Amino acid sequence: MNKILQIIRQLESAGENPKETIRKSMAQSGKKAIGCFPIYAPEELVYSAGFLPIGMWGGPKNGTLSDRYLQTFCCSIMKANTELALSGSYDMLSGIILTAYCDTMKCIMENWKMALPHLRLIPMVYPQNRKAASGVAFMEEEFTRVKAQLEELRGGQITEQELTEAVDCYDDYRRTMQQFTKLASRHPAIFTARRRHAVIKAASFMDKRVYTEKMKQIICGLEKLEPEVTDHKRVILTGLMAEPAEVLDLLEENRLFVAADDLAQETRQFSVIAPKKGSAIERMAQRIAMQDGCTFLYDAEKSRGIRLMELKKQYNADAIIFCQLKFCDPDEFDYPIIKKQMEAAEIPLLHIELEQQMESLGQIRTRLQGFAEILE
Amino acid sequence: MYLGVDIGSSASKAVILDKEGQIQATAVVNTGAGSSGVDLAVRQALGKAGLTDTQIKRCVATGYGRVLFERADKQITEISCHAKGVRHIQKEAKTIIDIGGQDAKVIRLRDSGAVENFIMNEKCAAGTGRFLEVMSLVLGCPLSQLSDLVKKGKTGVSISSVCTVFAESEMISQLSSGQTAADVAFGAMESIAQRISGMGNRIGIIPAVVMSGGAALNQALVDSVEAAVGQPILRLADPQIIGALGAAKYALELA
Repeated sequence: MNKILQIIRQLESAGENPKETIRKSMAQSGKKAIGCFPIYAPEELVYSAGFLPIGMWGGPKNGTLSDRYLQTFCCSIMKANTELALSGSYDMLSGIILTAYCDTMKCIMENWKMALPHLRLIPMVYPQNRKAASGVAFMEEEFTRVKAQLEELRGGQITEQELTEAVDCYDDYRRTMQQFTKLASRHPAIFTARRRHAVIKAASFMDKRVYTEKMKQIICGLEKLEPEVTDHKRVILTGLMAEPAEVLDLLEENRLFVAADDLAQETRQFSVIAPKKGSAIERMAQRIAMQDGCTFLYDAEKSRGIRLMELKKQYNADAIIFCQLKFCDPDEFDYPIIKKQMEAAEIPLLHIELEQQMESLGQIRTRLQGFAEILE
Repeated sequence: MYLGVDIGSSASKAVILDKEGQIQATAVVNTGAGSSGVDLAVRQALGKAGLTDTQIKRCVATGYGRVLFERADKQITEISCHAKGVRHIQKEAKTIIDIGGQDAKVIRLRDSGAVENFIMNEKCAAGTGRFLEVMSLVLGCPLSQLSDLVKKGKTGVSISSVCTVFAESEMISQLSSGQTAADVAFGAMESIAQRISGMGNRIGIIPAVVMSGGAALNQALVDSVEAAVGQPILRLADPQIIGALGAAKYALELA
C-alpha cells in the first residue's frame, strides 16, 4: 500500500507542478515538446511524431501583457496562456497546436500569429457537424493537415504503424483512466478533490505511456483495498475545469467528495475510446464524432444533462456542481438547460463561478458550505 | 444560554437565547469581519442579559467572518442561519431576501423550514448594502436618512448600470444635469430593487416573502423590492439580527 501511495503522491506532485514535470518528462524521454491547446487537440499525432504532447490549461499566471490582445471578458485560461506565451514561458515548445472551440480561441489564433512570430503555431478547426459523413471527412482532412505540419517539424514522415501505435497507446490510457475513476470513487479518504484532480491532470505533462504505466500500478493497488466508508456527500463536477485547486480544498472542508466528474479537463479527456476499425486517422475522427455531452463539440441532442443523470446514478452521487469558468460562453449556454433538467429530476445542483486566478474565496466558501448544509 | 454571532462585512451581531428559545439579549456593532466588533457585540449582549462568558453553553458563528471566530463550537453559513432565524419568528416564510453589507441572497425554504435552494450575487456589490453606502456618500445624505430622502423622490431618473462603481458615476451625472437628490435616490433604489428582483426570478419567489439583513432596515428599499418582485414583504421588527438569531437557535438545537 505504501508503494501505491508513493506513486499517487508522485503523480499528485506532477500535476501540481507543470513546469517541473514537463522539464523532467522532456529530459527522461529525450523528446521535444509540442503544446496542445484545450480541449481535444490531436495528441496522438504529436505522440506518433515522436514529440511530447503538453496540455496547455492556463495557470495561476496574472499579468498585463495579455491585455494588449484580449478583452477583460475573455476566460482566464486563454488570458493565462497568452500571458505565459508573451512572457516567454512557451519558447521551449517546438510547436503549439491551437484549437478553436469558441470565439475567444478563434481570435487567439490570429492574435498569436501576430504577437508571437517566433513560435511555430499549428491552427486546427473542428467541424460543427462532426457526425455527418462530410464532417468526419473534414475532421480527417484537418488531422492530415496537422500531421503534415508535424512531419515538417520532425523532418520526416509519420508512418501508419507509428500512428496506429500512438492511437492504441491513447486508447490504453483512456481505458486505464476509466478504470481508475471508477476505483477512485470508492476511496474518498485517499482521493481528496485536490489530489484526484492533480493525479488526473498529471497526464497533460507526462509521456502518456509512462503515465499510463503508473496508473496501472495504482489501479492494481486500489483493487486490493476495501471501499472506504465516510460521511462525505458525493458530488459530480461538470464544466470546463475545476480550478483553482483551493476551491477543491473547500470541497473537502465541507465533506464533499468528488465521486465522478464531467469536466473537459478531466474525464472528458478519456470518456470515449476510438473504435478499432479503420485507419488511425479515421479512428481519431470517429472518436471525436462519438464524443457527446460536451458543450465544446456541437451536440444537437444536448445530451449533457442525461449524461449527468446517468453519472449520478452510476456513482451513487447526491448532487451536481456546475463549475462555470467565468466568461466561458459555451458552458453559459448549457447551464439553463442543465438547471431545468436537474430541477425536473429533483437533483440538487450548485452553480459556482470560477477563475483560475481567484484570490478571494469567501463567496465560494459560503456557496459550497451552504450547499453542503442543504445536502445534510 | 446559547449564543449566536453573525460577523458580517460591515456589522457584527450577537443574540443570546435561553433554553426555551426566548431572546435574552441582542447587540449590533457597526464594524464587521476583521475588527474587534464581534467581541464588543458579544460583551454588550452578555451585559444586557446579565450573564458571563461561562454561562454560555454553546456558540454558533455565521456570516462572512465566521471561519475566524475561534470561540464558536460550530460555523454555519448565513444561508442556513437566516433560514433558521426567520422561521423562528415567521413560520409561514417561504422566501427570504437577505441583503447584507456585501452579499445579497435569495433563499427558498421548504415547508419544513429547511433551505431548498439559494442564489447569491456574484462578486459585484450591486444590490447590496455597499450600494446604499455609496448612494449615501454621493447624495450627501446620512445612511439613516436615506429612506426619507427616497420617499420624497419620484420615478423618472434611471440608474441603469448594474455595477456599483458605474452606478455611482451615473448618479453624479444625473445630479450634475440638474436632477434632484431625492429623484436620483429614488432611481438608485429602484435600480437595487430590480437587481434583487432579477436574482429572485432566477430561483423563483414564493410567498410569504421576508427581507432580512441590515439593508432591510431601510424602509424605502423594502418598499422598492416589494414593488419590483410583485409580492408583499413581511416586515420584521429587527431584520439585522436574523442571522445571529438563527445561529443562536442552531446553538440551542445542537446542544
